[in-house]
Amino acid sequence: MIKKQLNILNIKLSKFYVVLGLILSINSIDAAEGGPCKDYGNCDEFKYSLNDMASLQRGASTFLNYCYGCHSLQYSRWGRVSTDLQIPEEIFFDNLVFDKSIKPGDLMIGSMSKEQSAQWFGVAPPDLTLVSRVRGDDWIYSYLRAYYEDSSKQYGVNNLVYPGTAMPNVLMALQGNQKLVCKDIPVIAKNGGEKRDDFGNTITKEKCGYLKVDEGSGELNKEEFDSLIYDLTNFLVYVGEPAKAQRERMGWYVIFYFLIFTALSALLYREYHKDYHK
Amino acid sequence: MSEMVGKLFGWVNSRLPVSNTFERHLSKHPVPSKVNFWYLFGALASVVLIIQIVSGIWLIMPYSNTEEEAFASIEYIMRDVDYGWIIRYMHTTGASMFFAVVYLHMFRGLLYGSYQKPKELVWIFGCTIYLAMMAEGFLGYVLPYGQMSYWGAQVIISLFGAIPYIGESLELWIRGDYYISGITVSRFFALHVVALPLVLIALVFLHLVALHEVGAGNPEGVDIEEHLDDDGVPLDSVPFFPYKVLNALVGIGVFMTVFAIIMFFFPEGGGYFIEMANFEEANPLVTPEHIAPVWYYSPYYAMLRAVPDKLGGLIVMGSAVAILFVVPWLDKSKVASIRYKGIYSKVALALFGISFITLGYLGTVSVTEVRKTMSVICTVIYFAFFLLMPIYTKYEKTLEVPKRL
Repeated sequence: MIKKQLNILNIKLSKFYVVLGLILSINSIDAAEGGPCKDYGNCDEFKYSLNDMASLQRGASTFLNYCYGCHSLQYSRWGRVSTDLQIPEEIFFDNLVFDKSIKPGDLMIGSMSKEQSAQWFGVAPPDLTLVSRVRGDDWIYSYLRAYYEDSSKQYGVNNLVYPGTAMPNVLMALQGNQKLVCKDIPVIAKNGGEKRDDFGNTITKEKCGYLKVDEGSGELNKEEFDSLIYDLTNFLVYVGEPAKAQRERMGWYVIFYFLIFTALSALLYREYHKDYHK
Repeated sequence: MSEMVGKLFGWVNSRLPVSNTFERHLSKHPVPSKVNFWYLFGALASVVLIIQIVSGIWLIMPYSNTEEEAFASIEYIMRDVDYGWIIRYMHTTGASMFFAVVYLHMFRGLLYGSYQKPKELVWIFGCTIYLAMMAEGFLGYVLPYGQMSYWGAQVIISLFGAIPYIGESLELWIRGDYYISGITVSRFFALHVVALPLVLIALVFLHLVALHEVGAGNPEGVDIEEHLDDDGVPLDSVPFFPYKVLNALVGIGVFMTVFAIIMFFFPEGGGYFIEMANFEEANPLVTPEHIAPVWYYSPYYAMLRAVPDKLGGLIVMGSAVAILFVVPWLDKSKVASIRYKGIYSKVALALFGISFITLGYLGTVSVTEVRKTMSVICTVIYFAFFLLMPIYTKYEKTLEVPKRL
């Protein structure tokens, strides 16, 4: 009898999990709206690794050298970054903080005034503390790699992910000159294979919109540049939510606690249940 | 020592009904001996209420209710306050979980006829709690003062403007300003942390007192009061404490596990629990590409958009909630539980559930022609479920309800 009861409880619990699963199995809103990466198509997938200190340190260094001139991180504090990224304060302040009046407790409010920068660029460069939470890491990772040469624009570049972006390609010296090119793509037949003509040659069709860097025009090759952007994006994910790594670590303990709690209360319930279901 | 304690307890007890209350509402309060998991969500809702109150109190301490600092103070909580992120995520996850368990709790009511005589008042207090929760959730959502806070408030407050004659002055009265500003934030803060929690707690108290007066239901729809033992206690009942408390404890354990999974690993819930656009500070000059309410309002938002006229939409939306209050008088069935109701009731409830979930989805995505037609169809089904209830519950063949549980 008790076993039967337990079986029923199990079935009911599994139904409960199905209901919960339905509640939780939700895609992001953006996915339902079609790719947020605009002309780029789907954003490239980004997987953060907040425990990779070397990557975060490189990302911080890239940010402070190339981005911080215009973009502030106004909700983040200098000392917190150096502590979280395990960079000794002295090294951090000697090498990455260029204004010597800054103290560890100060907010990273940027070095350019909003009024002036709005005049210079038409729009003030936005604060980037929360950019990874507003746009998503996939978006940043794709955006920073999707600049291409476009002489019709103010700074000679445009972006597939953010067409008409006001930001010049600051990392061009590293990446090199990226252009939109056309490629001959094999035509796919109905059966899924490549379409061929009577002589067995593949039939191709020209398709445009591919990104290609002029060989040797940048300091880094494609792999090195991608990895630089990976580290930078990783750093922005960290800055967006500094407690994220700790949160995910702590979560396991809390879940473990509640599983034990559930198991013990289930055993206790079963004991008391015997009182009225003999 | 124990004699002293006993004496002290006796002293208090003769001046305050401690043991009476304990016996009446806990150790001797009879509850049906056989219920299923659907009967857990009421207890879970009270757990979430406590989580919200406690985490809310701690959020008030570092939060700043001014236009200039509201958004920054949230980031201050997330970064500089020790474990502030835990407190905040508890509150945001709690908000979504509150609605999740309350929706399931309400569906349980429809499933097993928990509103039928003599439980009409329990149901009405419950519906009022739901209404107060919707107001509470909306007010709270404005406080972080992100883009979605601002534009969501803009949309909702402008709805009041659609009311003839008094609309515009009403809008102004709610905002306290000609546009949404720090004044709006600080009054919403007062309402969110003081006024509505008081209302909610009072309503929950009434909901429980009324429930204990008429007794809890069961999935069979059997009236356990019909068969009593020699002491006048229903035969098919067990004392609430400790039996049902232990039962609920298992449910709470499972629920808290799910809660922790969301809180620690998916706090944004894919943009449904915390919308991505709300990580950007409110900017009256820039309208977000796509304004969507949080998931728990989205069914009503879809209804609002299904009607081309603003006032008409407002009326439909209001009626969708208002109609819940009269359900006890719409159901003419002789039986309470879906198990013994006829095929019409079963089909109607299934269609209702599907249309509500579909509306929920439609309310979060942008409008297309097809989606608009779907919203209209689902809105019609939603209302048909209630308006046709007197007919299909009266003329369908029901099964015999057993005498005992």
